[in-house]
Amino acid sequence: MSEKINSRFVEMSHLVKEYPNPYGDDFRVIEDFNLMMKEGEFVSVIGHSGCGKSTVLTMLAGLNEISDGGIIVNGREIDGPGPDRSVVFQAPCLMPWMTAYGNVMLGVKNVYPHVNKATRKQIVEHSLSVCGLADSMKKYPREMSGGMQQRVGIARAIALQPKVLLLDEPFGRLDSLTRMELQDVIIDILDKEKLTAMIVTHDVDEAVFMADRCVMMSNGPKAGVGEILEIDFPRPRNRMEVFEDPKFFECREHLLAFLEQRSHIKGPTRIYSGGETQGFMNESELEAFELKTGGLTI
Amino acid sequence: MKFFSKIKYPLLKLIDVSGFKVFDPVIRLLYNEEPQKQVRDIVKYMVLPIIFCFICIWAWNFLGPRHKTKSGEVPTPIEVWNVANDNYRFSEREEEKKTAFSLDGDKRKEEILFVKSEIVKLEEKASFLQQESMRVTEEVKVETDAKLAPVNARKDALKAEIKQAKAEREAEAIAHAEKLMAGQVTPDSLVALIKKHKEAVDEEKAKSKLIGDELNEIRDNPPKRLKEAQLAANKMEDEVLHYKKRIDYLTKGNKEQKIAGLIEKSDTAIAALAAATTPAEAVKQAKAVVSSSEAAESTAEQKYPPAATIFYQTKRSVATVFVGFLIAAFVAIPIGIMCGLNRVVMACLTPIISIFRPVSPVVWLLIFQIVIGAFFPDPETHPLFMFMNSPSNPLAFLRTDPAMIFSACTVAMCALWPALVNTALGVSAIDKDHLNVAKVLRLGFWSRLFKIIIPSSLPLMFAGLRISLGVGWMVLIAAEALSTSDGLGKFVWDEFQNGSSASFANIILACFVVGIIGFVLDRLMIILQRLVSFDDGSAVA
Repeated sequence: MSEKINSRFVEMSHLVKEYPNPYGDDFRVIEDFNLMMKEGEFVSVIGHSGCGKSTVLTMLAGLNEISDGGIIVNGREIDGPGPDRSVVFQAPCLMPWMTAYGNVMLGVKNVYPHVNKATRKQIVEHSLSVCGLADSMKKYPREMSGGMQQRVGIARAIALQPKVLLLDEPFGRLDSLTRMELQDVIIDILDKEKLTAMIVTHDVDEAVFMADRCVMMSNGPKAGVGEILEIDFPRPRNRMEVFEDPKFFECREHLLAFLEQRSHIKGPTRIYSGGETQGFMNESELEAFELKTGGLTI
Repeated sequence: MKFFSKIKYPLLKLIDVSGFKVFDPVIRLLYNEEPQKQVRDIVKYMVLPIIFCFICIWAWNFLGPRHKTKSGEVPTPIEVWNVANDNYRFSEREEEKKTAFSLDGDKRKEEILFVKSEIVKLEEKASFLQQESMRVTEEVKVETDAKLAPVNARKDALKAEIKQAKAEREAEAIAHAEKLMAGQVTPDSLVALIKKHKEAVDEEKAKSKLIGDELNEIRDNPPKRLKEAQLAANKMEDEVLHYKKRIDYLTKGNKEQKIAGLIEKSDTAIAALAAATTPAEAVKQAKAVVSSSEAAESTAEQKYPPAATIFYQTKRSVATVFVGFLIAAFVAIPIGIMCGLNRVVMACLTPIISIFRPVSPVVWLLIFQIVIGAFFPDPETHPLFMFMNSPSNPLAFLRTDPAMIFSACTVAMCALWPALVNTALGVSAIDKDHLNVAKVLRLGFWSRLFKIIIPSSLPLMFAGLRISLGVGWMVLIAAEALSTSDGLGKFVWDEFQNGSSASFANIILACFVVGIIGFVLDRLMIILQRLVSFDDGSAVA
């Protein structure tokens, strides 16, 4: 790639999400969430349920209002949803009255209003076949299995040709075999299209296997980024190789240890790679933290 | 054979979609699928309900004649069935007269011959039935007299007894009074005696009333065969009259004959005009030419005046309910969508919906008669009715009139609410995820509305429309009765008013017709509803 990679392609800074509470102070779900994503990077977000993982993702998607702080994507602050960021939801959310083709076309028509019909058709058919649905374009959602429906959801998201792909627990409702198939589909797509992506997940294996970096969120309320783990398996990734790699288990253990023991700690974000602490994400914050606690103990 | 097995599942699906799932086991039995289970299901869900229906009909048949009302006994199922046949015959006769009216040429002559021969046969039958009826009347008279004779004898005896008792009492009273004058008894005892006599008189009166009742009972309840014989004779007489009427319509009442007569008249007038000697005579003949040729023209346009058969009434009711229903749908769906989309609109409309929804259709009808009636000061020349009733309009048979419009508007007003409320509910209950998808896909307002909101609220919308049609049909019958707009409602009302022997049975017949049509309309809506709902797998592309 000749172009210089933009290391601040997605920039979330001091993100806050508050919900109004009529009987007291506003309820802060997210406080001071900071994260930077490089162009083409795949970040997984993991954390206990209810910590606000999906809230972060929906804020990035523009579906959820940002209470404070800001998100910059490709040099522009976001304001509502846009075709540069598409979302794969947990439920496939297909329109039951449309075929797979129709569901994908729905978005394509609106995002490319000036493109001629043949090109649109090509885009739709291409994205469906990338997701392995070349033979099922004319099927209605009710005629498809959950996995196939989710494939349509993915096809719909990538057909918009977004810059950022947001996956909100996309495999949460699928059985493990289908889940693995779809993980491979996503990884293939991302490798080919060089998309920047974020996946919110509960599944530790998935978080490690799929992503370049895993963001572990501390517990809510006032959740933030607890730790960040760099995962450096080579791409394209092979499932068998990755799963047999001892590093995979180290990463897995790390995530589990965080979730079980350290997720309640609020403080500066610690960055790990290869099992060692690489540093803190924000130096000024670290200083403040050290001043307050008199040293960092984990 | 291959075809036979191929249509099994489409067939099952069809009866499922059309809401006749009861027949499912029958079809499966035909395909020999688990016969025992199917037979069990058929017995449970078809045979038992049918038996229950028969029990109900039997109960009706048993209880009906035992309930005496001012308009006679409650008609039995058989009487209602006969009345249904009579109504059918009536409409057939109208058709026959109509064809008779417009027949011409050789066909007309053939028809005349045929009808005349029929009349001969029918008159024979009629006179036979008439004699039969007279014979039965005589017989019954003899029988009744025989029954009355002993009662009358008792009555006479009682009368004589009473007369004698009266004389005795009077004598006793006088004797007692004389004793009083003589100072032998007290005045009180005389009063007591008179009182006792009065009681005796009351007792006698009661006795004679009992006998009178007995006589009336015998006179008022002639044996059934008398009524039957009279009815049969009358029916045949009616039939003869109808055939005679047919001859009328084939001869002097025939359209072509009338026109030919008028043209002849005008021709003679033209000839007379040519031969006229005085100016006054010429003017008179010219006038005759104009008037007779005009009359010929108007006769050419004439159609047989349609009668209010039950089929016509039914057609008109169905047409009216559909007009009202369509008005309701066209108003309710857009407003419902707006209510569902915008809470302010909903808040604005809530008081209106809450206040007007419970208003009775009768009130709406009266209001519409005044308000909409103002648009048709002269219905004869109003363009709407001119258009609807012009001979070239295929809907002219409905004979649209203001009363029909009022009824349709009343139906619309009452059918509006369920559709409106359900549409609003369907739109506001749309899946949040679908809206999120719409946001991510950057759909504009219109494509969001037409691609997402309306399709996903269609099932509830149609559920509302189904209720609306049901409400509309119910309201319509009342509205027609009150507005005297031709239709089943008016049919019932007229029958109630005219009070002939068949009225009560006709009302019950109308009750069944209304019920069956309501059922069919509901089924239609169920099918529509199931076609638009996508969850149960019956959606069509």
